[in-house]
This record gives sequence, structure tokens and C-alpha cells, in this order.
Amino acid sequence: MKDAVKIRILQGDPIVHDVKNVVLPERYRGLPLIEDKLCADSCNKCAVVCPTNAIKLNPVSIDLGLCVFCPLCEETCPESIIHFSQNYHTAVDERANLKITSEVKSISPQMTSEKIRKYFGKSLKLRQISAGGCNGCELELNALSNVNFDMGRYGIEFVASPRHADGIVITGPLTENMANATKICYEAVPNPKVIILFGTCAISGGVFQNSEALQRKFLQENKIDLFIPGCPPHPLTFINGLLDWLNKSK
Amino acid sequence: MKSLEVQNNQCFDRAAIQFLDRDDFRNSVSELMQNNCRMIALTPVDVNNGRKIIAVLADSSSSMIHMVGGDFREGKLEFESWANDFPQTNYFECELSENYGYVPLNHPWLRPVRKQNVILKNKPYQFFKLEGEEVHEVAVGPIHAGVIEPGHFRFQCHGELVYNLEINLGYQHRGVEELLLKANQNQRIILSESIAGDTTIGHVFAHCNAIENLSNTQLSLRAEVIRTIASEIERIAMHLSALGGIANDVGFALPASSYGRLRTLAINSLAAICGSRFGRGLFVYGGVRFDLNETIINTVVENLKIINDDVREINKYLFSSVGALSRFEETGIVNTNLAKSIGLVGLAARASGIEEDTRINFPYGAYRYNPISMITLATGDVFARARMRAIEIEETIRFVFDQIENIPQGEIKSEHGRMAANSGVVSIVEGCRGEIVHIVFTDEARVLSNYKIKDPSFNNWYGLSLALRETAISDFPLCNKSFDLSYAGHDL
Repeated sequence: MKDAVKIRILQGDPIVHDVKNVVLPERYRGLPLIEDKLCADSCNKCAVVCPTNAIKLNPVSIDLGLCVFCPLCEETCPESIIHFSQNYHTAVDERANLKITSEVKSISPQMTSEKIRKYFGKSLKLRQISAGGCNGCELELNALSNVNFDMGRYGIEFVASPRHADGIVITGPLTENMANATKICYEAVPNPKVIILFGTCAISGGVFQNSEALQRKFLQENKIDLFIPGCPPHPLTFINGLLDWLNKSK
Repeated sequence: MKSLEVQNNQCFDRAAIQFLDRDDFRNSVSELMQNNCRMIALTPVDVNNGRKIIAVLADSSSSMIHMVGGDFREGKLEFESWANDFPQTNYFECELSENYGYVPLNHPWLRPVRKQNVILKNKPYQFFKLEGEEVHEVAVGPIHAGVIEPGHFRFQCHGELVYNLEINLGYQHRGVEELLLKANQNQRIILSESIAGDTTIGHVFAHCNAIENLSNTQLSLRAEVIRTIASEIERIAMHLSALGGIANDVGFALPASSYGRLRTLAINSLAAICGSRFGRGLFVYGGVRFDLNETIINTVVENLKIINDDVREINKYLFSSVGALSRFEETGIVNTNLAKSIGLVGLAARASGIEEDTRINFPYGAYRYNPISMITLATGDVFARARMRAIEIEETIRFVFDQIENIPQGEIKSEHGRMAANSGVVSIVEGCRGEIVHIVFTDEARVLSNYKIKDPSFNNWYGLSLALRETAISDFPLCNKSFDLSYAGHDL
């Protein structure tokens, strides 16, 4: 018993109390900001180095649904137009809003419908499906339940069975071999239900977008409620995204 | 000798491999395995020419890697299986058969590796099935209760006891090897970081070693040391995560949550170094992208000190709990002989008393100058695998402190050249689970002709299967967590 108390004292107060305003490490790459400057003549270096073709030119834009948050474009740009900020608030509810241009300085999801807020505002139970995820996203989702992030305090939790869930969180690029299981799992969730895509692979296929081993039909057939970009996204991105979406972040 | 002998990361000429006829090939490989070599790959040199294959074998005692070529251009794609004498080759033969249509004759148990709906011997593959009174079958997955990767498990049980566990994987197959062949060099790094996201640094380390040695790129000592520091921090993080999982699976909440808290410190140290909690973006060809400065070193040292102090107390608490020990001890045993014969690698092998650690047997990077201790335990049960992690965390932190204190000065990035034509390289790295192998070949146009990856999980899943025999099915989660294997690394 004495030892248990000692361990508990060592634990201290590890929880992130204010999830909205955490200062992440200086080198953390969150929301990219694009300066309103002109590119050098016929320079396309950022678009060429981008491993997932996330960058379009004239004017410069980055699709966060494809971006793997590697620093290649930032370090390549001769005019220092692209800069990854430490802003981890990058979740959105519309795929189109993941396109970052020089006008976009922040992004966040719109509050969801009254119906969804009425059903899930106080308690949202999610079933996670890893469909080809490399275990990076899965570990970050697991971290949400640890003593640092403790997402349970907001009434949001992961559950074992789709029958107990209000929605699914998909990680990974949706492999052919997981296509059927994903569909069955989603069908087992009672209505109304939500779909959240966690990580660049789930949103667009990311670095695996050209693989023949994928089967992403499920995403075209169903409406996606929330997009959480990142490779993998920070746990705080997920928490804040959901809180904004459910209008709970006061 | 009929085999080509190379060292870890040594670039060699493809023409130096002798391709033997099928009988000679089979006998040469058998002979090497009789002399304590372990198979680490069975693959063609060129993916477009599946009829010329090589068997790659590692000899830990001499730190040499042997390559034996087999020429199957004439006749059928058949060879007499080694698996009856050397069970370690079993799964490699299944993989070769699945990918290139070879038939290993008299193979004891040909089964699918990554493909679904496989037809073997003209009928759909059936799971191994036990019949008789009081026998029952439990099927789990691909989607499991927790937030983890997918895999299918078939238990054949008699009452509470498991007679056989068949593990059917492949759900995570994304075609990494195929994509690596087509990718440009920026994409290759990102892809190798995504082979197994929990071993990001292990795999990208092996990948960079391979490509750099193919192009004769020399690294600065400082870059080598930063790489090893990152790789050891990843090991600490994953060991803490597995210990947390093990504690959680015996319902011991206090250590479980404490290990979780310490893991956050470990991965936040990686984020301080390179911006990503998993070490993404750190590795570039020719060195590392981010240097260590005083502020970052202070953050890392401070975090590791907390881990070092706290983990000792938590370990003491966990490993002196009678309740926990009664679940750990003599559960899921893989004894030394069994572990050797099925070719276990890495942490699981060392927990079964096998002295096998790539950092010592096939040293690479900074481990060539700064040795780390070999740690083994004898019992091969859940306890040994859990205790191994606890001891390795302490040794790893000591090693990292030592590295940080004596960090060499200099550049962090050197010029990266072109890959040599018609060459090959075998790169072995000790990831947090064990031996990661990347084998790379180029053709005359300096384009990759084959990229073969072997994650430690490829060897060790079968170890989990055998650990479950005669074990209560209720101990499965605990045994599974004690191995803590990667699905993505296996499925590629």
C-alpha cells in the first residue's frame, strides 16, 4: 500500500488541463502558413519535392488531406513562403477546407447539426477501425486515453464493439483486405452515426495513394463528418476538433 | 564456398552471387543452417525475374551474411522444402510461394502470408481444425476490442486450454515493397517511415543505411550518434508502451497509467529533436535533418532522468506484486530450443535465452564504436519478456546519457551520391522488437530492382502461436502484449 501511494505521488498532476493553448515543441510541424509573396520566376521546387503531390502552384496552396507534414517544402522554398506553425488546431468538417492558401491563417470545423449535438453532445462513444494504418495513428488514439490527455473527461471514449458505438474513427489508407470488415463494422453501428477520418492516409491515401492494394470505395459511398489531418495527427488535434465540432470547447 | 559472404551494410556486386542449380542450392542452404546460420530472406534479385532467387542467411557468431543463389530458369518452380528439418524457413517458403508461385515440396504447412481468399492445391485455404468431443473453436478479428491493428486469430480449444492458435494476417497490406521500387527518393524516406509507424526510426534507419552504402555515402560521427540516440529513445518509448499494456492486461491500473505517462515523456523528447513524436522527418540520406542544440539536449536529458528515476520505482512495484507475478511466471513459454528452431529474433529471442542482438552481432552506425550490453533471460515466459523490457530500458537510458555526454562535433549531413549499378546491400538494424532487414538490389540503370523488407514480427508471430499451446485462452491478451508484435510491419 505504501508503495502504491508512492507511485501515485510520483504520478503528480500529469494531465493537460487546458487542451486549447498548449505550447508544443519548437520544431513541431502543425498548420502550415503561406506568406502572401510572389514565387520566384517559374520556381516549382516545393511542388516537385512534395512526396504526396499536396502542393499546387499559382498561387501556392497545400492540401492538408495529402500533406504528411514533412519539412521538405519549407526547407526547399527559396523565398521562405511556406512555414509550418506550431498550431495544432487543424481538424475540419469539409474536405475542401483542408486546402491551405495564403489567405488561410486558421482552420476549424463548423459546429455540427443540432440533432448530432443533442444525441452525442454529452457522450460520444467511438469504434476505431485500423484499415492499413501503420500503428502511428493507432498509438496516438491510444494516447488519448492516457493520464496526460484523458479524453474521457469530455465524455468521448473508445469502445470495444461497434454495437456500443455512435460512430467510427478510421485510420490507415483503407486496404483491399480490410474493405469488407470496415463495411461490416460500420453497418453494425446503430443510427445516427458519424465517420471520422484520422490521419492523412485515411483522408487521401497519403503516401500510399497510388498503391494497388487499396480499396477506398467506402469513403465515396458514405458522408464523412470530420477530417483530422496529420502524420500522425497530434492527440490534441483530435480532442480540439471534436470539442469544436460538438460545440463543447468553452 | 558457394555462397557470397558480406558484412552488414557492405555493398557488393550482383555478379558475385553464384547461381546454383536447384539441388546444389538446396544443399548449400541446408549446410549453412546446420552451421547455425539463420534465414533472413528468400527472394529474387529482380522482381521481374522470379526464376533467379537468393537465400540470405545470417551467422551471428562471425557477423557474416551469406547469400546463396538458386537458378530455376529450367524446369518447374519447385524445390524440396527445408522446413521439416529447419522450421525457421517455414514462413519464408510460404512467402516465396505466395509472391512468385514456387512450390516447396513436402512443406509441412503451406499457408497464406498476406493474401486473402488464397487457393492452395486447387481449393480455398482452410484454417487448421481440431475435431473431437469437447473441442471448440474461437475466432477473433480482424477488428479487435482495443484501438489496435487488425489480424485474425483462430483458436482450437479444449475447454480452457488452447491446442492450436492460427494467426492469419495480411489485412494491413499496402504494397510498401512495390511502392518503394517506383518511388522517388523523397517518397522512399516517407514510405520507410510508414512501414511500421511504431518503429519509424528502426525502419528508416535500415533504409538509409542500405541506400547510403549503395551510393558510398560516408556519414559524420555526429550524425551517426544523433541517429542512435533517436533510435534508442524509440526503444524506450515502445518498451514503456508494452509494459503499460502488460500491466493493463492483468488489470493493474496504477503501473499501467504510470508507464503511459513516462512514454509521453519519451516521445515528447523525439518531438523536441525533430518535431514529430515518432521521429518522422529526422532521417535524410547522408545524415540527419535536425541538429541537437543545448536547449534540446536539456529537454531530452531532463525527460530521460524522470523516466529513469520513476521507472525503477514502478518496475519494483510491478515485479514484486504477487498477483502480477502469478500471471506472468510460466505463462506462454517458448524455451530456448524451440525459440532457436523457429528462428525467433530480437527481444523475444533474448527473453528465451538466445544471445541475438543486431547492435552487438552485426554492429552498424554508432554501435560500432560504442558498445551496448547483451541482456538475456532464460525462462522465455511472459515474465521474461516483461522483465527484459524493464532491464533494457535502464541499459538504454545509460547508453543514451553516455552518447549525449560524448557527442562528437561536426556536420550533420554529408553529400549523398548516386546509387551504384548492378549492386546489392543487406542492411540489418535492431528495432525495438528485434532484427529489421532491408535487402536492396539495383539494376544496370541504377534503378531499384528489388526491395525486400523483413520486420522482426515476420519471425515472431509464429512464436506467439506456439507460446499459446497448452495455455489458457484467457491468457492470450497477456501473451500477445508480451510479444507486442507489429501487424503493419508483417503485412507491408
